Amino acid sequence: MVLDNKIVRKYFTWALDTTRESHLRTLSDVPLFTGIGKKLLRKLLIDLIEKKYTAGDIIFHQGESGKAVYVVLDGSVKIIKKSNSESKTLAVLGPGSHFGELSLIGQCSRFATAVAEKDSLLLIMYKSYFDDLIRGNSAISSRILLNLAEILSKYIQRDQPE
Amino acid sequence: MTEERHKGGTSLTDLRKLRHQMPRWVLGLLVFGVAAVVASRITHLLMMLIAAAIIAYIFSSVICAFERLGIKRSVAVILLFVLATVFVVAADLIFIPDLKQEIMNSYTKFPEFSRQIQDALLLTAQSSAEKYPFIESSIMKLLDDVFGPSGFLERTLSASEILMQATPFIMALILVPFFVFFLLKDWPGVMKRAIDWVPPSYVETTISVIAEINILVGKYLRGLAGDCFVIGVLASVGLWLIGINYPIMLGIVSGVANIIPYLGPILGCMISSLVALMQYQSFDPVLNVVVLYLAVKLLDDLVIQPLMIGKSVHLHPMLLVITLIVGEKLFGIMGMILGVPFVTAAQKTAAILLEHRRETHKRVCAEMLVLHRLGKSPVRPI
Repeated sequence: MVLDNKIVRKYFTWALDTTRESHLRTLSDVPLFTGIGKKLLRKLLIDLIEKKYTAGDIIFHQGESGKAVYVVLDGSVKIIKKSNSESKTLAVLGPGSHFGELSLIGQCSRFATAVAEKDSLLLIMYKSYFDDLIRGNSAISSRILLNLAEILSKYIQRDQPE
Repeated sequence: MTEERHKGGTSLTDLRKLRHQMPRWVLGLLVFGVAAVVASRITHLLMMLIAAAIIAYIFSSVICAFERLGIKRSVAVILLFVLATVFVVAADLIFIPDLKQEIMNSYTKFPEFSRQIQDALLLTAQSSAEKYPFIESSIMKLLDDVFGPSGFLERTLSASEILMQATPFIMALILVPFFVFFLLKDWPGVMKRAIDWVPPSYVETTISVIAEINILVGKYLRGLAGDCFVIGVLASVGLWLIGINYPIMLGIVSGVANIIPYLGPILGCMISSLVALMQYQSFDPVLNVVVLYLAVKLLDDLVIQPLMIGKSVHLHPMLLVITLIVGEKLFGIMGMILGVPFVTAAQKTAAILLEHRRETHKRVCAEMLVLHRLGKSPVRPI
């Protein structure tokens, strides 16, 4: 990679995309992408869309079919589960967190509602781009599936009654 | 303001009411109709913009490759232009001399070709004069229209006409790269700003539409470019093997013509057949050319297209023909080329929007049902 070369970094800073590089660092810390090389993450990053949400904006509703995964770059997002008339906050996510990962598995509906708690900047990854990326790359797809399984098992453990 | 009345007697409130009463799809169709009429009035500029968008789209993958190396987009675009200039200069030095020779040969031999066509047509007219007088009169009229003193060729080849035809071409040569540069450089910024304007509840649907169109158009254009290249090479090699003059030029023409669905291959075959007829003054080589183009078309339909374009833009045959006719009427050849991916993209967009509408309706109903059960809403959703 060009950016990893120290000489290039020293003399050609003007030609290098530093914003994207900082997004890359955030992305490499996301549990879903653990173990994925920088080369592939850079490829993934090109198709990601950045979007600003103001506090109170509903990012997606519970029950909708999910089409994208979100990564929090800035701000915070509240995940709320509604059942009948009750609403329960499942998590408050800060920078470096991700949510909506269940949309990567088939045609899953959204398990909960996501609301921007503060003004937030999110990276949105559309499912088809992700499918394109892992298609034909068994090592990557199995790595991501393993990450997903770990994330889901953590959710299950967390929700078990004490 | 609400009492303010237009000359026709319709108040602004009435107009607003009408807008709210009008189904959205009717409004959409109206907007599309107006846009189509405006677009058909500024076809020249639109053609240049479309050509620039296609070129930018094809080369966006090169820019992405640079970006994957960590290079800034603006620098990547400049690098691409530098590389393109180097490629054009190298091509001019290595490949173009042969092509130039072919073009010059065909240009110098054009009067002879023209005379040969006239002779062949006159011979046909004379031989059919007794049995089929209407054929003779038709051929004589055609000869007068095309080769006569004020005929098509005389008008087309006059210096002032050539200058008139060349002006938009020269403008396109300057403006298209200019548009390509800025489309490549600024497109992600434009998209980012557009996404920022979209209300949060529509973001996923908007991204779905953009991504699906991007995937579809990308596959189609890249596939089409590859398909045309392969067809051009196959036609060139085939024509060279059966001994037809100007194989490179005819191969390029066939490759480019292949962009137009269905009509393109026929056009390429007709031009090559004409050259074969002029070269050999016999129909046997023409038959060889037709067989060659049939074989290439068969290979294209069975192997090349499924491999390169796949079923990304599969349209019903009837819808395809309608698309081609309407595209040609509105925007000429460009309309025929882009009509197919445009209609496929529109189909896909409509499907995504309908799904969004269905889901929103489902969610609203579920929320109303909860409120109804709690006794907070008197209406029970259906």
